[in-house]
Amino acid sequence: MLKAGNKSVRGDVLTQEHFELISNSEALGPFRESLRDRLSQSGLDEKGSSNVTLAVDEALTNVIRHAYGGREGKIRVIYEDFADRVEIAICDNGAKFDPTLAKDPELPPKKPGGLGCYFIKTLMDKVEYRYDKSGGNQLYLTKLKGRISK
Amino acid sequence: MKIHQREKNGVNLLEVDGEIDFHSSPQLREQLHQLIDKEGCKLIINLKKVSYIDSSGLATFVEALQRVNRNQGSLIISDLTTPVRSVFEIAKLETIFTLLGSEDEALGVLTK
Repeated sequence: MLKAGNKSVRGDVLTQEHFELISNSEALGPFRESLRDRLSQSGLDEKGSSNVTLAVDEALTNVIRHAYGGREGKIRVIYEDFADRVEIAICDNGAKFDPTLAKDPELPPKKPGGLGCYFIKTLMDKVEYRYDKSGGNQLYLTKLKGRISK
Repeated sequence: MKIHQREKNGVNLLEVDGEIDFHSSPQLREQLHQLIDKEGCKLIINLKKVSYIDSSGLATFVEALQRVNRNQGSLIISDLTTPVRSVFEIAKLETIFTLLGSEDEALGVLTK
């Protein structure tokens, strides 16, 4: 279900790891554990690491729910640790789904739902979405180091 | 995730143990609905053993609160851990839920 590996690194990256997940909600818990383990070595403070874990979990949930819509598919995750930031790319070949376009929910929410994309945008310092037919959905999340996380 | 259910002085107590996410929240939702779809239900959800919650978990609680209010019931969430409380606060949910520090405090409110 969860495969991890190291591939060629780019630029000033300190650590780069590739993961491959199957789009099933059962994969979420084990992946969070792996991510927490990497983040604990990144130098991010505890709150920052928790925020990254939640944002990535929400992004993966979106892929399972919206991009693949319950169908089985592959999700590729690239984790990169730099001196000044952590970057995580989440790629899939499901239906086009851009979480950056989601309208911010009313807070507090009067009805269930709509918070996932808001968490991704709020908890990360930079969120970029790209799509092309060969690469599918590509979501790039960045968390800067050296800041006290709210 | 495990859910332990008991009753004390006419109040249903639900203790959740584990992480609440998109995978586990349907189980929580089902168990909650069994309890809150009764008129005038009194429910305490104890989250002292929950270290993680995502938006699916929050949505489950928001839906539960709506149903409790519709049925003239009462819902208190107690013993939130720091990371879980933080997620509630990001969504400003502390303004619509009654969040208390302990189960005893919540029982005191619902049985007075």
